[in-house]
Amino acid sequence: MDLSLNDTQQLIQDSARDFVRGACNRDALLKLDRDPAAIMSGIWKQMSELGWTGMAIPEQYGGTGNCMTDVAVLFEELGAGPVPGPLFSSAVLCARILLEAAAEDMKKSWLPRIASGERVFALALTEAQYGWSADSVRLKAKSDGKDFLLSGTKVFVHDALFASDILVAARIEGDAGVSLFRVDAQAPGVAIRALDGFITGMSEVTFDMVRVNSGDVVSNAWEALERATLAATPVLCAYKVGACKTVYDLSVNYARERTQFGQIIGRFARVQDHIIHMVNYVDSARWTTYEALWKLDNDMDAAASIHVAKSVSSESYMRACDFAHEVHAGIGVMREYGLTLHTKMSRSLYHCLGAPKVHRKRLESVLGLLAA
Amino acid sequence: MNFAIEDSAEQSAFRAEVRKFFEQNIPPNLEHSVDPCDMSFEQYQLRRDLGRKLGAKGWLYPSMPKEYGGGDLSAEKVAIIYDELSRIGLALPPYYDAGGRMAAPTILVWGTPEHKQRFLPPICRGEVRTWQLLTEPSAGSDLAGIKTTAIRDGDAYVVNGQKMFVGSSHGADYSWTIVVTDPKGERHKNLSWLMIPMNLPGIAVTPMDLLATGGEGGSGSGVKNAVFFDNVRVPADHLVGGENNGWKVATTHLEVEHGGMGRLADRRVIYDFINLCKERQDGWAITDDPASRAELVDLYIEAEITRLFALRNHWLAHSGQPRTYEGSQYSLRRKLSGLDMSEKMLRIAGPLVLTKDKRWGPLKGTIEYFQRDAITALHPGATTDIQRVIMARRIGIGGREREKAANLR
Repeated sequence: MDLSLNDTQQLIQDSARDFVRGACNRDALLKLDRDPAAIMSGIWKQMSELGWTGMAIPEQYGGTGNCMTDVAVLFEELGAGPVPGPLFSSAVLCARILLEAAAEDMKKSWLPRIASGERVFALALTEAQYGWSADSVRLKAKSDGKDFLLSGTKVFVHDALFASDILVAARIEGDAGVSLFRVDAQAPGVAIRALDGFITGMSEVTFDMVRVNSGDVVSNAWEALERATLAATPVLCAYKVGACKTVYDLSVNYARERTQFGQIIGRFARVQDHIIHMVNYVDSARWTTYEALWKLDNDMDAAASIHVAKSVSSESYMRACDFAHEVHAGIGVMREYGLTLHTKMSRSLYHCLGAPKVHRKRLESVLGLLAA
Repeated sequence: MNFAIEDSAEQSAFRAEVRKFFEQNIPPNLEHSVDPCDMSFEQYQLRRDLGRKLGAKGWLYPSMPKEYGGGDLSAEKVAIIYDELSRIGLALPPYYDAGGRMAAPTILVWGTPEHKQRFLPPICRGEVRTWQLLTEPSAGSDLAGIKTTAIRDGDAYVVNGQKMFVGSSHGADYSWTIVVTDPKGERHKNLSWLMIPMNLPGIAVTPMDLLATGGEGGSGSGVKNAVFFDNVRVPADHLVGGENNGWKVATTHLEVEHGGMGRLADRRVIYDFINLCKERQDGWAITDDPASRAELVDLYIEAEITRLFALRNHWLAHSGQPRTYEGSQYSLRRKLSGLDMSEKMLRIAGPLVLTKDKRWGPLKGTIEYFQRDAITALHPGATTDIQRVIMARRIGIGGREREKAANLR
């Protein structure tokens, strides 16, 4: 039993912390929030140079083959920003999907270029009938000689805005399963439109007769896709852990400094209750997440723990932001203070890879509550 | 990170050794009464015998130093003993010994070498059973407001007053007791701790009729009592930690009581309940109802979080990591989630959970007992409100200097 970080993980934590404090300080993040495209010309290059784009990719494909806990330690620190951008989508989620699903040639073509940061992948799975199950995938692919033609719309696609390549989940006509298509984001017929509002990093992606070569297709990929998304999920949870912790720290500091009625507000039991809720959320998210990662890295059955971690961390991040706003009142909603970056992120990532509702439903089956 | 209780061949061998020891030493007639209040004197004696056998190996208080009768065992090995005991429905110690559990670590920090030599080995070897006496009729959450006095008179302290919600069935050898030694002194600077032999003249014990015991001490803790002291002369050298220094001593005691150590293998009843709901009779199971399935999942998640907080505290305490709010956080969680889970069970399974009827009561009455215990458990070792106050101080938002957790070793 040892719940501390090892030496490698402490080094990762230190360098990520320095990065977030430096390149991703509050002012920098506020700027990126107004101009997301600047991510790729700025921090993305730094993150690639630090080797973060290759951490979750095995050495044989040009990465450093770190365990998922190592990767999660990095993402916990990035969550503290919250640092935006496609690192999770590309270097963790899509890399893992290619590893689990793709043929060797496809892995060799793309994984080294994801690892170097040269290519940026995003997963386009969800559609108008929003959901993360196979049923929700309706987009059609028609075969046309050796090629396929994709037509339809994906929406709430995370990080497509930054992508050079999009992995599209779609159904080949006359085929029962879900297949995966690698599509060049610049290909004719692909249109990516950022969604505006109380939302971070999500787009609508439309495909109008987009031609895909059969070498870029993995047919009947759903099981592999599901395995990969399940394995990537705790890394996203770790991002939320770090984010949750920052929101809590902000609130603790504010409760120590802000004076009303002639005393610091931290002396009021009501305010203390908010802070206590927050620390409970932080720790619930943290320990469910890291236990899931430990199981995953040790080839144990991690499914139940991952579903618990995703349910808990999504809810925790959102609720921690709620309580932070109760503590901060007016200051909290001034964009320049920075809390709203988290509030927006906590909502935007709530459903990513399945909302708590979805993971609770899957837990029913993992725990054997559904009749055979 | 490593969440496994055991992660080496040596530890697996230790588990085998522990299991074998229990196979050979648990008497076949040892019964597990669901309601701790129901335990007979004979059953209590069987548990004390087991305690002495554990004590002889240093396993009764496995994390205490060897020189005082403990086992000096690692966090993993301690957890293995807990785990193996919980498999057979027992806790450590296998009988109520809350006084020992709180006093031993406290004396280790605050006692003189002579106190340690005198008081610790009998506790660790299971030769004595000790209660803890804190609460009084007018001092519950406000511990510093106690009124029981101990006034120095020659070579003794003369104790007068009343404690309540304390102890167990079948008596005790000692009571680890907080008293006022300077009735005119400043608050927090007038208290002391006495290790009071319970065979002294002037002590009277009256059982209380309570809903349940609140989970304290595990199975077989027995009833709670009121204890009356009428001019009881306690030898002066039974005062531990210095006269009027009792509030500081209390921080160590309370750190243990507030959950700083983490209780492993707690709440097995939740996982048992989930399995119960899957059972199919006449083609029907509770889990057929989608709303019940959703609540069962909530129950599972809640139990997992509580389990992980306990595991974290166990690791923090046994590996000497710095701690602040974690003890009270676990205790608060355990209390509130316990209550919440008991109500979820009621919603899911209906009045089934309310009966210990021989025909209808599920899981031999453990579910019914949990319904009562979850409510009773809200107060022992500090109410949820007090746990929140402690957390706020430890987080450092109360406006005072940030409070640190007491050292346990």
